[in-house]
Amino acid sequence: MRVRSRSLTEKSVPVLCGLSTLLLLTIFSYICYLLSSGLEALRPAFLFSSILDGGILEPMVGTFYLFAGATAIVAPVGTLAAIYMVKYAPRGRLTRLVDAAINNLAGVPSIIFGIFGFTFFCKLLGLGICLLSGWMTMACMMLPIMTRSVEEALKMIPEHIREASLALGATRWQTIRHVVLPAAVPGILTGMVLSIGRIAGETAAILFTACFYTMRGLPQTPLDPTLTLTYYLYVLVLYMPGRLEPRQVFGLALVLFLLTVALNSVAFVFRAYCRRWRRWM
Amino acid sequence: MRQIRRLLRRKLPEWAEAVTMLCALNSIAVLSLIVLFVAWEALPALLGWTGVSLTFENKWSVEHEKCGLYVLLVSSLMASMGALAMAIPVGVAAAIFLAEVIPGGLREAVRPLIELLGAIPSVLYGFVGLKVVVPTVQRLFNLYYGQTALTASIVLAVMIVPTIVSLSSEIISAVPVEYREASLALGATKWQTVRHIVLPTAMPGIVASAILAFGRAMGETVAVVMVAGTSTELARPFWDFLQPIYPMTAAIAMGFGEAEVGGAAYHVYFAIGAILLAFAFTVNLVASLLLRKAPTRVRL
Repeated sequence: MRVRSRSLTEKSVPVLCGLSTLLLLTIFSYICYLLSSGLEALRPAFLFSSILDGGILEPMVGTFYLFAGATAIVAPVGTLAAIYMVKYAPRGRLTRLVDAAINNLAGVPSIIFGIFGFTFFCKLLGLGICLLSGWMTMACMMLPIMTRSVEEALKMIPEHIREASLALGATRWQTIRHVVLPAAVPGILTGMVLSIGRIAGETAAILFTACFYTMRGLPQTPLDPTLTLTYYLYVLVLYMPGRLEPRQVFGLALVLFLLTVALNSVAFVFRAYCRRWRRWM
Repeated sequence: MRQIRRLLRRKLPEWAEAVTMLCALNSIAVLSLIVLFVAWEALPALLGWTGVSLTFENKWSVEHEKCGLYVLLVSSLMASMGALAMAIPVGVAAAIFLAEVIPGGLREAVRPLIELLGAIPSVLYGFVGLKVVVPTVQRLFNLYYGQTALTASIVLAVMIVPTIVSLSSEIISAVPVEYREASLALGATKWQTVRHIVLPTAMPGIVASAILAFGRAMGETVAVVMVAGTSTELARPFWDFLQPIYPMTAAIAMGFGEAEVGGAAYHVYFAIGAILLAFAFTVNLVASLLLRKAPTRVRL
């Protein structure tokens, strides 16, 4: 009797665990299936016409502007910070402090970034609700992931390569400039993609910093407000339910979903590539 | 121009350390700025200087100067706890499956999919929740309104499950193989080994993943705004999950835009932000303390 019940658990536990995994995969496929009903809305007339004509051109271009600016701000800062943490002061007190700050920054809810960005960038610095404030707020959010990824990439570079460079008489800076940085390029790119992925779905942080839903046309300067896919979907669902046909709202959601999937796949491939590349070195 | 370039070439190596150090200090600066600003703007509301005082009564209506934190706090806790109750069993089971059962090749295929589930934008979750979960809950329980605490919990559960799965499975895989071999050599079966050796060793890490998931659920905004409803007063006691709620993040997202800068309502929203921030830091601290006991070094 005892033996039988034991063999029953022995069989049922893995099945239960498998069912849970299956449940998660089912939820994922169901979301894909649900959003695929927006597929027929994805016509050039919908994608490339202004929101005034029932299209989504402005949100798409606005999303791109937001990514580009925020990445341009965070990529150099994050990379240099990681270089300091790994190459200049690997075990200093300052490094530990920065480490703790990055950990906590990664855990701050995005709505807090939103209200902070509004008070600091929009009001105190007087930028107003605009693309530039959105960039800065987003850059703050991306900082942890960017720094972390480059740090990981730098740590992966074998020590003997750096030592070889130093042994040849190169200075610390020359070593970093000509040996460490080129080897870290895939890591920096991964970091950029990952941190864009982190903010690609962000709505709460740009709610008060970068977007107006009354805005018309594309932003001409960084001091104009913008529209993004996430924000447009949020407004369409909550405040203007009848503005687009349901099919088109699904189309918008699908575009956002595909963007997320694409960014994550690129990051995934990059990371796999980095790993293989390291083995080869 | 050439002079500047020559200067740069000569000076850059000397400045490099200082410049990189400044960039590293930047993250400390950003974090301190956030903490300082939120605390500074929250202070008037917390100390009652604005004339609108925060209380714990069961009524939230900033326009009528009634700021009972009970509604928001209890709503946030209801949604997150409900989500955890659903996400922990499923997430831990899936983590065990990924780490212990499934062969390596298949695992590398399934894991990215589950991680992708965690990367889906929260506004999309809100949208899907509104289209699917809200009507289902409404029909199932025969309610007048489908936006309830239960709906929010379900949507949040799906959003936080990937956090639990990826961290827990990583930690379960990291339990040293010698432990398992010792147990198997003593005649224990595979599942006895998992139950009595692997899980207890990985437990601090699993708990940490659940705590991090809790933090994520508390801070989640947009999806919650769309599916939790807006309730100025919790009509029924907190164990009734079939009532609309109004979590802290939703209150900020809905009300902050209309609040006049420097007005009483503005400071009240910052006070809620300060509470959220305190929650986030506590969650981070506890999780990182627990992760120190994990069999592998995992970074948050």
